[in-house]
Amino acid sequence: MNIFISFVLAIISSMLIDNVVLSRFYGICPFLGVSRKVNSSLGMGIAVVFVIILATLICWPLYNYVLVPAGIAFMDTVAYILVIASIVQLVGLFIKKYSPSLYKSLGIYLPLITTNCAVLGVAQSNTDQGLTFLNSIANAMGTSIGFLLIIVTFSCIRVRLESSNTPKAFKGLPIALICAALMAIALVGLQGLFSGIKL
Amino acid sequence: MSKEISLVIAIVVLVALLGIFLITFVAYRKTPLPKGCENLKADDEKCAACSNTECAFAKKEEEK
Repeated sequence: MNIFISFVLAIISSMLIDNVVLSRFYGICPFLGVSRKVNSSLGMGIAVVFVIILATLICWPLYNYVLVPAGIAFMDTVAYILVIASIVQLVGLFIKKYSPSLYKSLGIYLPLITTNCAVLGVAQSNTDQGLTFLNSIANAMGTSIGFLLIIVTFSCIRVRLESSNTPKAFKGLPIALICAALMAIALVGLQGLFSGIKL
Repeated sequence: MSKEISLVIAIVVLVALLGIFLITFVAYRKTPLPKGCENLKADDEKCAACSNTECAFAKKEEEK
């Protein structure tokens, strides 16, 4: 039971309290670039969830069972980038072939998932912190769902901002960035949420 | 397992990863573009938010 509770708490913690975009400032480029329409942000979010979880499932065993025993753990970043780039090409291929509308809305920003530092950051932090395989999956799930949650929420806010009466100087990105800052402040309020729970 | 064998396995795995990447890269390039997606361009406002000057799209804009 304790394992299950700690698994869920790890997911919630990395999803909300230690949010990848608003607390760690990873993945800002797609966060601002693909958040003008709810559909495209949802598509990008789901693609990132898929890539982060799959990359963690491959990178953790690769590091612990191949790179470390061979004494070439310093090659981890190269190996992770190859894994992530391959997964992104595969995801892109499927979207290109089976979902033209999503391909059109994500457009040229799709291959940029490879350079989304949230993806590499999760894979790297899993091994740097010495997390177990189960904790790595919890971290990957929490981080990626946190990214999806924030990018979709942010796109909903941006859609409403388009039709709102904002001052001319604040139209577009300035007001969007102010909203992002307010969202980050709101998430800071969740810190210490689980401090009283004893496992 | 000796260190040498582990090293050989690691090199084989890395080369295999590179091979998988090249195969998926070629497959992605060879997949035909969906209709209406032939002339997709970077959005100026979206790109203005990003400070990455090494991005291929930013370089294309500079060349123009």
